[in-house]
Amino acid sequence: MSSTSVYPTPINAFKQSKRSVLSVIVDNEPGILARIVGLFSGRGYNIEALNVTVVDVKKNLSRITIETLGEEKVISQIIAQLEKLVPVHSATNLANLSESYEAEICLVKIEFENEEQDQKILNFADIYRSRTVQKRQNIVVYEISGTSERINKFLDDLDTIGGIKVELVRSGPIGLGI
Amino acid sequence: MSNDNEFTGADILLKALKDQEVDTIFGYPGGAVLPIYDAIFGQNFLKHVLVRQEAGAVHAAEGYARSSGKVGVLLVTSGPGVTNVVTGLTDALMDSIPIVCISGQVPSHLIGTDAFQECDTTGITRPCTKHNYLVKDVSKLSETIHEAFKIASSGRPGPVLIDIPKDVQFAKSKYISKKDISFREHRIKAGSKKVDKNFVKELVNHIKKSERPIFYVGGGCLNSGHQASQELIELVNKTNIPITTTLHGLGCFPGEDKSSLGMLGMHGNYEANLAMNKCDLMINVGARFDDRVTGRLDAFSPDSIKFHIDIDQSSINKNVKVNFHTNTDINLTLKEINSFIDTNNIDFGDKDYRNWWGQINEWRKKDCLHYEQGDEVIKPQHAISRLYELTKQKDTFVTTEVGQHQMWAAQYYKFSKPNRWITSGGLGTMGFGMPAAVGAQMANPDSLVIDIAGEASFLMNIQEIATAVQYKLPIKIFILNNEYMGMVRQWQELLHGSRYSESYVDALPDFKKLAESFNAVGVRAKNINELDDTINEMISIDRPVIADIWVDKKENCFPMIPSGAAHHEMLLSKYDKENPENQEKGKVLV
Repeated sequence: MSSTSVYPTPINAFKQSKRSVLSVIVDNEPGILARIVGLFSGRGYNIEALNVTVVDVKKNLSRITIETLGEEKVISQIIAQLEKLVPVHSATNLANLSESYEAEICLVKIEFENEEQDQKILNFADIYRSRTVQKRQNIVVYEISGTSERINKFLDDLDTIGGIKVELVRSGPIGLGI
Repeated sequence: MSNDNEFTGADILLKALKDQEVDTIFGYPGGAVLPIYDAIFGQNFLKHVLVRQEAGAVHAAEGYARSSGKVGVLLVTSGPGVTNVVTGLTDALMDSIPIVCISGQVPSHLIGTDAFQECDTTGITRPCTKHNYLVKDVSKLSETIHEAFKIASSGRPGPVLIDIPKDVQFAKSKYISKKDISFREHRIKAGSKKVDKNFVKELVNHIKKSERPIFYVGGGCLNSGHQASQELIELVNKTNIPITTTLHGLGCFPGEDKSSLGMLGMHGNYEANLAMNKCDLMINVGARFDDRVTGRLDAFSPDSIKFHIDIDQSSINKNVKVNFHTNTDINLTLKEINSFIDTNNIDFGDKDYRNWWGQINEWRKKDCLHYEQGDEVIKPQHAISRLYELTKQKDTFVTTEVGQHQMWAAQYYKFSKPNRWITSGGLGTMGFGMPAAVGAQMANPDSLVIDIAGEASFLMNIQEIATAVQYKLPIKIFILNNEYMGMVRQWQELLHGSRYSESYVDALPDFKKLAESFNAVGVRAKNINELDDTINEMISIDRPVIADIWVDKKENCFPMIPSGAAHHEMLLSKYDKENPENQEKGKVLV
């Protein structure tokens, strides 16, 4: 018989933990990224991916997209905390919008050794409609975009080819509500 | 290229402070703020209070703000000047106190070079301020200062810091006055000014239906202004609903009124905590379901419908899920509730919650604040009770340090008006009370200001006695001296087998002689016969006084909800034993 734990295990918290993509519009001013990152680390939230760019030069606005994990209650709290930051105009959970689109871009450099591998790579690249950026003797660089899930799948498929070397960079997801 | 309309950064700061009607500033000079100190030298609208360490300045600004309802202002130099105020900024953030901290910074061209007395001020203070700025361009200085004051005092108030490099203090620009600044609304976060009518209607309906309602009132009511308290009193009188307040809510509702159940929480009254546990309708007015208040969350008020009025959206559903909430200002919301009741002629007269009050009066019979005062050693509870009786006719402000004395002060000193009780709640900062008393006395020169202290806390900012003496501030430091860090010792007794590891304060100074060496006055009460005379003597002296009250060394603070326990699992005296399972769970909590 196993012993009973002295502390309850918060199984539900893990179970209900789900991925959310938050879109935050901010005044583009010094320290704003540090404020947001500090808020996440200080309150024990996770940042899975982060993307920051100026989106309106005239109004001096940036859009920050954050992928995070947490149960719904935590996500609402993160949004409320984000909206308390002085330079923040708005913080939106894209999942709460009736319609939103999401994309991520990934550059993959693949080194291969033989023709069989090359064929398989080409095949996957074709299925996923990835764009060839550069191709040399035994190196190919692809650009693939779409939801993070789509990119994950592409990378999983590449993984099934033995003996190739993969190096990659991902932008993290960005998204827009309609 | 000089222009008559242009001023130095230091002068712009002074102009802005004048524009903001600041009349008192707490500070300490240093290399990176000399231009500002030079500007202070040549003016007379602003009274500068020279503290003895920057921590004193920030707590004094907090005391000033809490006791006056205005923004507290302080001025410190770069590097250590700033790092010394980090505790106080965090304290103000936790307790929602509006302060503006001006700090000097090394000249712009030296930033990032590890220059003398340089530190990353905005980096260090980012998580402990509501907002902060590094002003690199003197032309932005005026609007930055005005925005800082607006942010500090709007919505849920808090501390704001403005870091000004030395070269910017010398550089010249035009001054833009407060009335010529248009604030950008998204940055001010003032909360909604529109009352949620549906919330009001739902609330009144639920009050009508409920059998066991309770008001749970926190510091937010205080920050909503005196009018909010008036509206609250009116609403409680109309409905005959019992009311309990948090540590910071004390004074929002008269503590001696029959509807008041006193403070709730870890050291709250038995009847208050039981009523929270058993109520069927909870009306939270500006409180944040803090862990000191809720006890074990899964057993917190299990059967109640919860309404929450709080201007801070992030306080809603953070620790406790509520059924209805509104983010509108408390005063406006309470006013609307009162007028809704009036215009619809809703009468609660026949309701009266007779059974509920019957139950509460049963709980009251436990007399949870009872203590046995013998005829020799002074009980700390008795010392506070006598202090209250002997000062209640006066216009009194009470500050505290942190620990047992603070809880006894909250339990035995009754407050009838808001802003009279100034204590460090959220952060629990030892050393807060005396500098806070300096600030409160600056704001209220004719009032009686008492710091109820423990000897250990008092030693943490003892240097500020010199400030009180220099500015002839007749603050009274009322030390409950038990030679222990009493609350630490109490926890060691309850949770760590009475192993009093490092909680005995050896080698204490002679507080009477200490007072005299500072040119203050020292008085002492060693036993019960000397207590009243000592208190009366302390009050009668128009100078700073340290009253060293020797109290029972082993007295503990009850009632107590141990960490990890629920509201109905209170310990009422040292004879009550804690549920061992809770004890194990509580050990890892704070």
